[in-house]
Amino acid sequence: MKSRQASKRLKNGLFLVFFSVVSLAYLMPIGIVVINSFKRKAYINKYPFSLPTGRDFVGLENYRAGVEAIGFFEAFGWSLFITVGSVSLILLCTSMCAWYISRVKNRWTRAFYYLCVFSMVVPFQMVMYTLSKTADSLGLGNPLGITVVYLGFGAGLAVFLFAGFMRSVPLEIEEAAMIDGCSPPQTFFLIVLPILKPTMVSVGILETMWIWNDYLLPTLVLDQKKYKTIPMAIQYLKGGYGSIDWGLMMAMLVLAILPVILFYVSCQKYIIKGVAAGAVKG
Amino acid sequence: MEKTLKRWLPLFGLPTLAAFTVGFLVPFVMGMALSFCRFTTVSDARFVGLANYKSILGDGDFLHALWFTALFTLVSVVLINLLAFSVALPLTKGLRGTNLFRTVFFMPNLIGGIVLGYIWQLIFNGVLAMFGRTLTYSPVYGFWGLVILMCWQQVGYMMIIYIAGLQSIPGELYEAARIDGANPRQILFRITLPLSMPAITICTFLTLTNSFKLFDQNLALTAGQPSNKTQMLALNIYDTFYSRAGWEGVGQAKAVVFFVLVAGLALIQLYITRRREVQQ
Amino acid sequence: MASIRFDHVVKTYDNGVTVIPDLNLEIQDQEFVVLVGPSGCGKSTTLRMIAGLEEVSGGGLYIGEQKVNDLPPKDRNIAMVFQSYALYPHMSVYRNMAFALRLKKLPKGEIDRRVREVAAQLELEPYLKRKPRQLSGGQRQRVALGRAMVRDPQVFLLDEPLSNLDAKLRTEMRAQISTLHKRLSATFVYVTHDQTEAMTMGDRIVVMKDGRIQQVDTPQALYDRPKNRFVAGFIGSPQMNFWQTEVLRGPEGWRLRGAGLEFGMTGWQLEGYEGKNVTLGIRPEDIHAEEVMIKAHPDALVRGKVSLAERMGSEIYAYFASGGQKLIARAPARTGIRGGDEVVMALDLNKLHLFDADTGERIPRQG
Repeated sequence: MKSRQASKRLKNGLFLVFFSVVSLAYLMPIGIVVINSFKRKAYINKYPFSLPTGRDFVGLENYRAGVEAIGFFEAFGWSLFITVGSVSLILLCTSMCAWYISRVKNRWTRAFYYLCVFSMVVPFQMVMYTLSKTADSLGLGNPLGITVVYLGFGAGLAVFLFAGFMRSVPLEIEEAAMIDGCSPPQTFFLIVLPILKPTMVSVGILETMWIWNDYLLPTLVLDQKKYKTIPMAIQYLKGGYGSIDWGLMMAMLVLAILPVILFYVSCQKYIIKGVAAGAVKG
Repeated sequence: MEKTLKRWLPLFGLPTLAAFTVGFLVPFVMGMALSFCRFTTVSDARFVGLANYKSILGDGDFLHALWFTALFTLVSVVLINLLAFSVALPLTKGLRGTNLFRTVFFMPNLIGGIVLGYIWQLIFNGVLAMFGRTLTYSPVYGFWGLVILMCWQQVGYMMIIYIAGLQSIPGELYEAARIDGANPRQILFRITLPLSMPAITICTFLTLTNSFKLFDQNLALTAGQPSNKTQMLALNIYDTFYSRAGWEGVGQAKAVVFFVLVAGLALIQLYITRRREVQQ
Repeated sequence: MASIRFDHVVKTYDNGVTVIPDLNLEIQDQEFVVLVGPSGCGKSTTLRMIAGLEEVSGGGLYIGEQKVNDLPPKDRNIAMVFQSYALYPHMSVYRNMAFALRLKKLPKGEIDRRVREVAAQLELEPYLKRKPRQLSGGQRQRVALGRAMVRDPQVFLLDEPLSNLDAKLRTEMRAQISTLHKRLSATFVYVTHDQTEAMTMGDRIVVMKDGRIQQVDTPQALYDRPKNRFVAGFIGSPQMNFWQTEVLRGPEGWRLRGAGLEFGMTGWQLEGYEGKNVTLGIRPEDIHAEEVMIKAHPDALVRGKVSLAERMGSEIYAYFASGGQKLIARAPARTGIRGGDEVVMALDLNKLHLFDADTGERIPRQG
């Protein structure tokens, strides 16, 4: 008995050590970027793994220059606006739509559901060109309009996930609400929506992760001279002929990662739960 | 119930339906149609039959990208799922530190493709500099660079799904197996793996489609260098459209082929793994 | 006025299946009517048509004098208690009960008064702040009841509300619901598959099968004079004994032969049945072990070895076979019948039921 206890503790100890090492290794790339963001440009390329010392240390110079060069804070603002706006729009519209097609079952609703599933497999390149032209002609090339584009392209996955979860909302509760005197919108907003909260979080997180980090869609749809999102701004640092000012790049990368990490650290439990729930339904 | 709800289609269904039509349906149908045309803008399209598709067959870059993408997908899917599953197993035992490790492993998934590509470009170039080489020295470097990047980003996400799948296996099955005299290896292969098939289905589907459709990371890490030899399909299509004029029709045709490939792969994979799922 | 009337009502589903072909039923104001029958007989569908949760495909449904076919549920002044209670999981007990009143925009003081009054009646006061998932099954059922009561409706619809409760609770709640009906001046329509519930609670019972009404009557009438074999077998526990008998014409009148017996029958309209079979039915409680009865019906004696004797406390259910026919008889506990005993019992020929062997319809007595 004693030896079993001992070997168990040994195994746990090994586990702890092994995973701690792997975790540190996992976080190293981030660490390296942070370190290099304080170095002078030339030294980054030559000695990327050394800590900044007297000569190379440039303080916040890279940050200041980078922010100016690509208008980082404006990009941050637009990313925030577009992400929050699009996700809100998606959550509201697709949940309503999913409820409708779950409760009204006819040829059309079933066809729409299958179209949604279908759209999840279509790669963006398929519609890339035509979508940008369509968005152009409808004047959607601004932060407000692009939320509609995101709703359109992201509806498939969202409707699919919501419709899947809708099956576990008992119909009898909605019937009770109708007998109690609710009109359909009241039934949806007062009764169904509160029950859907966990799914809202799951879908919301998935959509947020997609939209915040998306590069191609905003690049093609937005009027680039006026609006940039963070991924676009980062890519903008790559000048002509592929040359990059690595000092600025490092600093901007840190700034780009920072909000993500802060968001993650604060909502980490919900994010992980949401990801697991969303995937299982899929 | 249905009758009262039917009248509310405008409020509930229309916004999503309208956006979906504008944002997906119309572009999709247009894309299909334009793949058979030569055009520079939508209005001057001229029907050319299968000419675009034929020219794909002679496009060396495209064929190389196809091969590269297929290989990359194969390697990534296998590696990521193996790693994610192996990492998930010990993390379901509830040992000390589990939550922390889960948090750390998942974190890279939140970082966007472009940012990720540049981070790893720095690291790879830094490492390779010690041997006097750069990332764009050979496509092999680019290939493995992308694989490592992909693993770093995806393992945490798939791990979460595997953990959820493993935790849904009733503990009683393991107890019954131990009483029946099974050793850990047998338990793994005869109980754990078969009952994890639903999670394996989802993870395989996600890694398959994510790897095949990869764009952002490809653009940032290597931008296809050297000489488009690390260019994956998505990037190749993008280049065809936007790096020079006159090839839009071919680009659209390539996109259709791309779509068919992705859809086909996904369907085949789902069919194979779904059949092996065990109903609880 | 909350009478309910079904006038040639038809219910057909979208796939073309007609589950209720022609329903005609009148429920009086403030009556307690029970719809009972096996699964799939259409009782729940009928109830849901009254609620407005199912569309009426044909015919007219009237509540009071008003035709309500197209009236949405919330305008029908009805309340419903669901089998699964259907409580709003994200709301407290109080808010569950107050919900409908808030929708009607009643003043807050009025809402509070009504909710607390009903909560007191149902002993729910300690739980007003709790959420449904923190309550037991019985408590949830009372909340569902309270939610309906608070609205003071004309019509109470109850869809198998006691099915999910354990036996003891079921008996308690049965009494509570009956008492409630007497206190409120509302029409109660109650659906159940349990014939004991039906018999004990209803003013009148509607027995349904395959979407058709088999019989509508008071409990006692259903028990004494079932209109067909199905109703006869459905009502009464243990089930009525049935066997086929051949109709013979004897010198003194009709004779029935079957199950190893033959005896004379007077007072039955058996014209046209000569030489044919009719189904004979007799309830277990009408098969007697007492000496008195055996002497009174000497040619209606059944005898056999008891294969199983279920002791119910005040009675014994004896299972035996006589003349090849399996029978169940209810005997008083003092007879002390045990498994393996040889018994002789008499059929009370005054309590026979005869049914047409093909249609199952009751064959009437003469006079």
